[in-house]
Amino acid sequence: MEPAVLETENLVKVYGRGANRFDALKGLTLEIRRGESVAVIGKSGSGKSTLMHLMALLDRPSQGVVALNGRPVSELKNKEIHKLRNESFGFVFQQFFLNPNQTVLENVVLPLKIAGVAKRERNRRGMEALERLEMADKAKNKATDLSGGQKQRACIARALVTSPSVIFADEPTGNLDSNTSEVVEEILFGLQREQGITLVIVTHDDDLAAKCDRRIYLKDGEIVQAEEIHADSAGAPAQGTTGGEREDTSTGAHVAPAPQYPATEPWAAPADSDGPKHREEGTR
Amino acid sequence: MKATDVVTTALGNTMRSKARTILTVIAIFIGAFTLTLTSGLGVGINQYVDRALEGFGDQDQIYVQKIADQTETTSQGPQKYDPDEAASDGMFGGMPMLSEGDIETVRGIDGVESVDPTVFVSATYLEAQNGDQYRLTLGAPGQSGSLEYAAGESPARDADEITIPSTWLDALGYDDAEAAVGETVKVGMTNVVGEEQDFDATISGVTDEMISGAGADPVPSSSFNEKLYDYQVSGGPDDTPQAYIAATAVVPDLDQQNQVKTDLSDEGMLGMTFEDQLGAIRGVINAVTWVLNGFALIALLAAAFGIVNTLLMSVQERTREIGLMKSLGMSPGKIFGLFSSEAVLIGLIGSLIGVGGGVLVGTVANAALTGEGGALSSVAGLTLYGIAPVQLLGIVVLIMVIAFIAGTLPAARAARKDPIEALRYE
Ligand SMILES: Nc1ncnc2c1ncn2[C@@H]1O[C@H](COP(=O)(O)OP(=O)(O)OP(=O)(O)O)[C@@H](O)[C@H]1O
Ligand SMILES: [Mg+2]
Repeated sequence: MEPAVLETENLVKVYGRGANRFDALKGLTLEIRRGESVAVIGKSGSGKSTLMHLMALLDRPSQGVVALNGRPVSELKNKEIHKLRNESFGFVFQQFFLNPNQTVLENVVLPLKIAGVAKRERNRRGMEALERLEMADKAKNKATDLSGGQKQRACIARALVTSPSVIFADEPTGNLDSNTSEVVEEILFGLQREQGITLVIVTHDDDLAAKCDRRIYLKDGEIVQAEEIHADSAGAPAQGTTGGEREDTSTGAHVAPAPQYPATEPWAAPADSDGPKHREEGTR
Repeated sequence: MKATDVVTTALGNTMRSKARTILTVIAIFIGAFTLTLTSGLGVGINQYVDRALEGFGDQDQIYVQKIADQTETTSQGPQKYDPDEAASDGMFGGMPMLSEGDIETVRGIDGVESVDPTVFVSATYLEAQNGDQYRLTLGAPGQSGSLEYAAGESPARDADEITIPSTWLDALGYDDAEAAVGETVKVGMTNVVGEEQDFDATISGVTDEMISGAGADPVPSSSFNEKLYDYQVSGGPDDTPQAYIAATAVVPDLDQQNQVKTDLSDEGMLGMTFEDQLGAIRGVINAVTWVLNGFALIALLAAAFGIVNTLLMSVQERTREIGLMKSLGMSPGKIFGLFSSEAVLIGLIGSLIGVGGGVLVGTVANAALTGEGGALSSVAGLTLYGIAPVQLLGIVVLIMVIAFIAGTLPAARAARKDPIEALRYE
């Protein structure tokens, strides 16, 4: 069992106040282990993006803890958080967010430019990332000249260029047709397999979710069901993650107190912390 | 992000919406151009004044005048004539005069090395060694120290010495300036009763004429000048009281000059250094220059609002880009730096073009107006436009500072943007 890269405990996010108060997240506890791919699934407005933003340190929770490599981020200074986002995280957005006035290469090396890497070095690494995505021939093109799939590949190259340990993707295939989606999915999972990059993918797409190692279902800001399917082994028990999930790193054991809920009735899930304890051996 | 990357990125961003940038730059240009012209005008005219008065005085000299009694300078109609009072006062064309006693008082003031009353010597002729005689107007001895010498030096105070202009060399029969120095000339004088006498003087130096006109006439030493004057007023009744319109006191220690001036005013006299006299003129020129500069600064103020407006629009347009950069780990400080360098760059571009254009137009206009065939060419040595590099640099820096200040509001707004809101922004 790999150690947890990201953990959250009792994560609460409240927008607005008074009559406008809206509880976007209502106490989420989960963990994401190094090298796994996790899909965050749920209806529109269920809080998926909010959760992702909190885990990616783009926003601060109203309550609760986000921990990175076992260390609560509230202990970190702003400067360290900026550095972490820059070096350890990669982002792939549904709307691409490519700068239309710049070339593909310039877009891809933006994180390196922010990190203060010298021009020659960042162009070298940018070309490397583009080559890996078979986009090297488009390096000098304006970002606007690309097709949707190419744009998303450019975005992935940008997410990759700093060699991050976690890539966050918010609906990475939302704007793509099914063929192109498959190509992009292939690339993302390839990165996970070959480089051990942790993937956190927010999606509506059940096919994409099914390809992930694990799925977290959100409904109205709560985790209603989570299951774990191992790509390489069959029949490992699925496991809930609601409430006080803990990992014993010395043994690699994963302790989850929450019961498993039927996938067919996610809305029926009670937030029951007295459920039977479930011990699972590391299988990865 | 590295500083060089911040600057190049900012430059790229300013070039993105060219029309908007160009319009803002034009506004800055107008301010910078005007400021360069108006301040250059001040510099030019001050340079002219300096040059026009050069050679008329020395730093260590204090020009002394009697202060007019307030009641007597009133212009409220004619004053009653009182023979006793008028005689004792000694007025010359409405100006109070310095008496011998006053001169003695000045001589007694601490720090005053010597005093020369201003006297008007009208010499009859100057006779060269070859016997030719030339009409002669003498320059004031006080100016001898600040003249430009082609050869030799200023006449010694206490010797019978004189300078001659370099243009006179041929007529007086000297091969060159060096040859004239040390030779003797005769100065012819006529006294009150019409008797003539000549006085020998040694040529101590040969002067070049300056733009101000100083050095165009022979200048005697103080003592020689007095000697000539004594002869000029001799022959008449002995009791003619001496009175002078002014005197020149020499105060070698510049630090003592202020004390001497105070002492003079205690004695009812006004002392002005050459700098004081220049300063009064400069004060007027500078005041006028600053009024003109004021207009240029108003133009710059308007341009500053142009920068604020341009950058606010740019921040609004680039909300998503800002959000992206922030989510990729760019700190608010760097975002602030990025936008304020854009403002400073716009200021720099506008000010460089404006200052360059101002210098060019100022120089060309100056040449056209004061050069040969120009409308003002009759005024010798006139400059309407002067280039002071430090001042020009100051204008560029000033505009960059104004641009930076104008940029702080939009830059702070960009730095405060929440990355999530920015990414959600449609
Ligand atoms: N800044 C905000 N102020 C108020 N409410 C907000 C804010 N941001 C998000 N919300 C609300 O929080 C809830 C969760 O939003 P979030 O963007 O996480 O949904 P999502 O699951 O990503 O939906 P989608 O699939 O449509 O992207 C929504 O109801 C949304 O209206
Ligand atoms: Mg979303």
